[in-house]
Amino acid sequence: MDHGLIAIGAGLAIALAAFGAALGIGLASGKALEASARQPEIAGKIQAMLMTAIIFMEATAIYALVVSLLLIFAF
Amino acid sequence: MDYWKDFFRALLEQFRPKLELDNIGEDILHAIVPRNIGSIDVFGFNLIISDATIASWLVMAIILLVAIYLGHKPQRVPEKKRQQLGEALVDLLLKTCRSSNMTYEQAEQVIPYVGTIAFFITLTNLTSIFKIPPPAKNPAFPIALAVITILYVIVMSIKFVGLKGFWASLTYPSSALLPFKILDFFIKPVSLSLRLFGNVFGAYILMEFIYIVVPMILPGLLGLWFDIADGILQGIIFTYLSITYIGEVIESAHESKHHKEEQAKAKAKGKAKASV
Repeated sequence: MDHGLIAIGAGLAIALAAFGAALGIGLASGKALEASARQPEIAGKIQAMLMTAIIFMEATAIYALVVSLLLIFAF
Repeated sequence: MDYWKDFFRALLEQFRPKLELDNIGEDILHAIVPRNIGSIDVFGFNLIISDATIASWLVMAIILLVAIYLGHKPQRVPEKKRQQLGEALVDLLLKTCRSSNMTYEQAEQVIPYVGTIAFFITLTNLTSIFKIPPPAKNPAFPIALAVITILYVIVMSIKFVGLKGFWASLTYPSSALLPFKILDFFIKPVSLSLRLFGNVFGAYILMEFIYIVVPMILPGLLGLWFDIADGILQGIIFTYLSITYIGEVIESAHESKHHKEEQAKAKAKGKAKASV
């Protein structure tokens, strides 16, 4: 197979996924900080919800990392 | 200008064989592939013993010793520090279970398995500090853990809310959501295993690369995040998610029951009004 195209594919996969994940996590954290500033007594619950949301967003970026590693080491 | 270009090129050429930077790809590939040490024949199956198996045996021995030490001769009013430490850890898991719609008795049944996988995954991720390849870099380890965990979630949630409650939680807002919720039960182990595998494997590849290229100070600094923090975080996340999955089924089963009770009440009121 053509190693140049494989390298471009691997780099593109992780780049786009990292962009999407970082964007989503940044937006969610911003909203969580706003809500926490409006109502500081439920900051604990907001933090728990934020952690849950970040776990799922991070996982999507990790799927792309696995695909990228698969491209590099198996093709 | 040409002189400096040639000078730096000659300098690099002189240092390149000393640094052995030529075959990074092959070195990393040799480090990543699981090393099989032997194989045992059991009942016609060929079980392969790899470095992941030996590392997890080591961690199992450590966990056994720690557990015996923490739980030895418990007193009703704890006076020694080790019993207080054990009780604090169990209390942490209890609080997480309670905040996921589980009663105290249900949480007591769930904590043994959940605590075991929490310690097991966290400690096996931390073996990369001692240059022992972490077992989770072998794709079989996270997949096995995820499949067993999702089976445990299904069995325990059926035990808590009954088969009828389980069916009610699957069809709670409407029956049209049934295929999506069944698909959800197949996606959850994929997500759990790929999250653990991707994090540990990616961190291991990066650390191998850094050990080859800059073996002096950088592995220690980067290892603080990639080996230690990422490993502990992934263990905690796996545990928290498996507790949350049990809590989800219990919550939707209870909501479905309340919904049906309110519908029955509204019908009874309507009949009483109509008859009056």
